[in-house]
Amino acid sequence: MLHVLFGVLGILFAVALFVDVLNAHEGNYRRIKKLSSAVAILIVLAFLIGGYWYVVYYGADREIIKAGKWPWAHNYFMEVKEHIFFSLLLLSIYLPIAVRGVMPLNNTKKKNLILGICALIILLGLFMEGAGGIISKGVTMGLGR
Amino acid sequence: MNNSHMGKYAAGFGLSLVVTVLLNAVILVIKEISTPVMSVMKAILGHHWTTHGSLLIVIYIVLGCLFSATGLKDRLDSGKLLKYIIWAVVISVIIIAGFFLPGLNITATIKC
Repeated sequence: MLHVLFGVLGILFAVALFVDVLNAHEGNYRRIKKLSSAVAILIVLAFLIGGYWYVVYYGADREIIKAGKWPWAHNYFMEVKEHIFFSLLLLSIYLPIAVRGVMPLNNTKKKNLILGICALIILLGLFMEGAGGIISKGVTMGLGR
Repeated sequence: MNNSHMGKYAAGFGLSLVVTVLLNAVILVIKEISTPVMSVMKAILGHHWTTHGSLLIVIYIVLGCLFSATGLKDRLDSGKLLKYIIWAVVISVIIIAGFFLPGLNITATIKC
């Protein structure tokens, strides 16, 4: 479940970046760049590890969920999660490119671009975590616990 | 250059992000309603999701490089790009979440 850890850390770093951009000044430009790279690296790690786990091991869990009391945990939440995740991944990869492309952050529109991308990453990331929880509970329900 | 304009890569990969996020939803619908497309995607990399993700990343990089090479940065400012990105994500989420809505049969579970 290492991908969950990297996902949560990615969300937390995006929150930190959001706050830093709100208070952007020359003194924190370097940290803003580092935070944006960290978000991208963490979400890519979550993608690689979560993707490997999904492709190799999820099949058995899927059968348990579909035969259990919460088949919609797979039929809806897993299906939606695995596809919306691509938007989160692409937004995260774009974040450091956007940050470096709009520096210096001396304009409201430039700041808003980074804030908007961070907000989307945080919202989609929270959905991933919530959907992951429902899918795990779907397995538990399928096992009759 | 307008003060809210950005670098060529931020503009190019920003527009590429918009296109790729929308394409994600389009590819999803096509592969789910077309069995031959789903079979081809499974055959290419062993799993439809792996092929789907790899395809999107390749398209994102290729379009990003192409758009960056054009004079896009002079025509696109940060405000416009943010609007495009938000709308692309919202439309994509609505299509994906809406497409699988029939699978959300919670009421049947509650009745049981």
